[in-house]
Amino acid sequence: MEQILANGLYLGAQYALIALGLTLIFSLMNVLNFAHGQMYVFGGFVTYTVVAQLGLPFIVGLLASAVVLAVMGALIEKFLFRPVIRRSKRDESTMLLAAGIAFFLDAVILLLFGEKQRGVPKIVNGVFNWDMRLIMPYDRILIAMAAVALIVGFILFMQYSRTGRAMRALAQDRVAAQLMGVDVDRYSMIGFAMGAMLAGLVGGLLVTITGINLGMGGPTSVKAFLMIMIGGAGVISGAIAGGFILGMMESVGLTVLAAYGDITYLVIFVTLMIFLAIRPQGLMGKPWG
Amino acid sequence: MKRRVFLATTGLSLALAVASGSAAWAENAKLKIGFVGVTSGPAAAWGISNQRSMETRAAWLNELGGVKIGDTTYDVEIVPFDDQKDPKRAIAGMEKMAQDGIHYVVGPNVDDGAAAVRPVAEQNGIMYFPYAFPKELYTPPASNAILGMVANYQSGPAIYKYLMENSGVKTVAFVAANESDPLSQRDGGVEAAKALGLDVVSASVTYQVDTTDFTPVLLPVIQTAPDLLVLSGVSPANAPQLIRSARELGYTGLISTETAQDATVLAEGAGELANGFISVGGASTPELASDTMKEFVERYTKMFGEYNDESNTKVYALEYIIETLKANPAAIDNVDEFKKTMDTFSAPNPFMVGDATLTYVGMTSFGQKRQVSVPLVVNEFKDGKFETLFVAQVD
Amino acid sequence: MTDHTHSSDPTQRPGLPARLLGIAAFLLLVFVLVPLFIRITGRWDFYYTLTSVALLSVAAAGVWLTFYIGRINIGQGAYALTGGYVSAILIMKYGVSFWLTLPLAGLFCAVVSVGIGLPILRLRGVYFAMVTLVLTEVARLTALALPITNGAKGITSIPLPGELSIFGLTIIPDFATLQNPKLAFYLMAALLMVLTYLVLWRIVNSRLGHLCRSLQQNEELSASIGVNTAMLRVLAYAISSFFGGLAGAIFVAISQSIYPSSFVVNDSVNFMLYCFLGGLGYVFGPMLGTLLLYFGWDLLSVAKEYQLLIYSGTMIALMLVLPNGVLSLLDRKGGRK
Repeated sequence: MEQILANGLYLGAQYALIALGLTLIFSLMNVLNFAHGQMYVFGGFVTYTVVAQLGLPFIVGLLASAVVLAVMGALIEKFLFRPVIRRSKRDESTMLLAAGIAFFLDAVILLLFGEKQRGVPKIVNGVFNWDMRLIMPYDRILIAMAAVALIVGFILFMQYSRTGRAMRALAQDRVAAQLMGVDVDRYSMIGFAMGAMLAGLVGGLLVTITGINLGMGGPTSVKAFLMIMIGGAGVISGAIAGGFILGMMESVGLTVLAAYGDITYLVIFVTLMIFLAIRPQGLMGKPWG
Repeated sequence: MKRRVFLATTGLSLALAVASGSAAWAENAKLKIGFVGVTSGPAAAWGISNQRSMETRAAWLNELGGVKIGDTTYDVEIVPFDDQKDPKRAIAGMEKMAQDGIHYVVGPNVDDGAAAVRPVAEQNGIMYFPYAFPKELYTPPASNAILGMVANYQSGPAIYKYLMENSGVKTVAFVAANESDPLSQRDGGVEAAKALGLDVVSASVTYQVDTTDFTPVLLPVIQTAPDLLVLSGVSPANAPQLIRSARELGYTGLISTETAQDATVLAEGAGELANGFISVGGASTPELASDTMKEFVERYTKMFGEYNDESNTKVYALEYIIETLKANPAAIDNVDEFKKTMDTFSAPNPFMVGDATLTYVGMTSFGQKRQVSVPLVVNEFKDGKFETLFVAQVD
Repeated sequence: MTDHTHSSDPTQRPGLPARLLGIAAFLLLVFVLVPLFIRITGRWDFYYTLTSVALLSVAAAGVWLTFYIGRINIGQGAYALTGGYVSAILIMKYGVSFWLTLPLAGLFCAVVSVGIGLPILRLRGVYFAMVTLVLTEVARLTALALPITNGAKGITSIPLPGELSIFGLTIIPDFATLQNPKLAFYLMAALLMVLTYLVLWRIVNSRLGHLCRSLQQNEELSASIGVNTAMLRVLAYAISSFFGGLAGAIFVAISQSIYPSSFVVNDSVNFMLYCFLGGLGYVFGPMLGTLLLYFGWDLLSVAKEYQLLIYSGTMIALMLVLPNGVLSLLDRKGGRK
């Protein structure tokens, strides 16, 4: 039992961090970023390149991922999403753009980093073992803690910094924020850059544990979508809750339903659909028009 | 960004090589061999190692002056098509091959694609070499598909038997991704294990291919404490993570799979924890690889920057096509001739030391010779390299 | 948002004679010029590609219809897969003629979609989009788990469509006896596509279409003026799924096999992209979008490893230039800022 909970918490922490970036972008711009998973993969490969190929310390790799992705995010917002949002008649049109960017990043990743699964050596060795009841490798504990620290840092930033407040205002009511003198373009760009940066950071963090390959992008996006749906799209606390809930569901579901094997994920997905049908706005979201 | 520079230079030199190459051997006729497989997206690794093996070998043969089939000397040209692992695209790819007048195609890489292209291949007289295991592709009335590697229902029993005799394995557990190919392979494995008298303690656990943490997946499996854990049809991307999670959960038994793996990927993803991992390969280990094989690896590395051990098995299909055509030049645009030749064909295997031969096999499994004979080399991973555990033949 | 009605309102289009001429030209192109072109150039492989385009655009037409009621549908793959399995199972297990399974596959999907649609159509925006995305994965996993679908091993060696005859009169010959089944499949798919878009066009120009548009703009408002929104949504969704099932069933007949992975999340996403690229405000948008994206990918295969790069780059560029779809080129003069 302890093991199942611990697994769920570990999964939840990494999921929540992935979902945070996605929900931030969604709340600011009403864009469902299909390329989020690819950004995560890109971040992972940047860390891999810096650590495994250039031989620099892990923390440098993480920073490189954060910077590269933040710049990429800012550029994508400024030169791609902004003009399209301004000119399209329906908000959803950005989905085609986002999907195009996702394909594009897939292609770039394949050309730059190759098709193979990549990983960097463990950053800490050893396994925490509590009487065989709870087994957790130290690097996993470390990464989970780093993820939680990042989540807390993110919340504090959104809560107390000027930029964070401006972005929250923007997320609540774009027009009102604009009238109050918030520079919408600027904060949309910062928000997108931050969202991309978060994706890159998770990629960098997880490359030490799960490794990275170019196929992980699409499925990661889909999983992140699920999380923000559970919690409520565009709500920060919702994304965190969604991440932990999905982590727990997988962990518990896989154990409880192990005997039925093939249908584990079927049950998880159907449960999600039923939940959303009953509560269309997720746990904490507002219903979207 | 070493890689980027490197990529640009290889790209450039490749372009130059192609340009100068076509100029130098312009007088040779072209022998087009197709490749329909997945070279983008999640499963890109399978198709890319495949396509690159073919391109490496083709460039090499052309450099040597081309291949002489009958009285004509041909330059080998590889025509690739990316099916994105979508059976609908695979059909389009096969149609394109037919359009190009191609009669020999390597691929597709997965079950659904291989089944979907069958009508097109049969209507257009194309022999194709899928890397997919469903028996109905190779048993009559089907006759145009040739299995390009050793199937899991052939390698699995051999591995289990070896481990029963040498490591005293009595109980076995299976995990598989919840996709067609791995699940079919798991079912085949379970059947084979039971037939050998092994006790299957867990075979119902499955995972999504996009799983990022395998601990919850493996927890119930490890609790059954099997002597052998089989990762059915595991993709090279998932293998290191599964191994790592199993070991970190305290599992001490054996782990094996029936698919080909890459040593670098295992070393990077699981490090020492992957030691003892058993997988299947071609003539991959130093004591089996001939000089030709070693040169192939060198050339591949030179062309594409990094070798992929999966190519150890994937190097064979093209060789079989060319050698069979040499044996019967009439087959060059007539697959019925090819089929006739297959029954008696035999040529030395250039990639393996000793007097191994290239022949078509599969009588036991399919009732007709519809499989290339690749040595069934069972490897054990040790400190970043594969070591030969044993070698067997398929009939 | 206000100029929206403008372009999506088909009554603003050219007059009747011009429209009839357009339709005639289109039919001529599809049924005469294309086969003629292929005969002259000898590009027989285009038949399959164009058959795919026709079938995929049938499924995409369904997605477009759900867009029309203001729902982003990323679940059409689920219905294509279901339709495929219904047809395959009826043929293989019960010996039903392919021609009968075709409408049955569509109807089955429509019925299923009513059951699924009733609860989930209450969702809006990205929520609906995401639930439908999950639906595709649910369909795949169900196909893997059910015994009747033969699970992971799929259903293979399905015979080609047989003869269709009424009172001994052969209407459609047995495909297996045909010299060129490719052409037969093309004609069948093209005919289906024409019929589908005719139906779609009819719907959009009917009272139903008018109500759908009102739904797209403001559901509360239309509900308040007495439109039965729930009923309308389910109806549109059922028609949409019917199209999906049809397309899936024919694909199975072509590949003579079906696996749980025959239609996956990527397909669902692609259907949506076809609609976007063609233009959400135009009935023929999804058809053009499918042609451009699907055919484009095939043509780009000459670019080898740069195929995806060029493909996606072009897609982004098109979006930047024509954010409202390629067909928005047609109404450049009006409605723009």
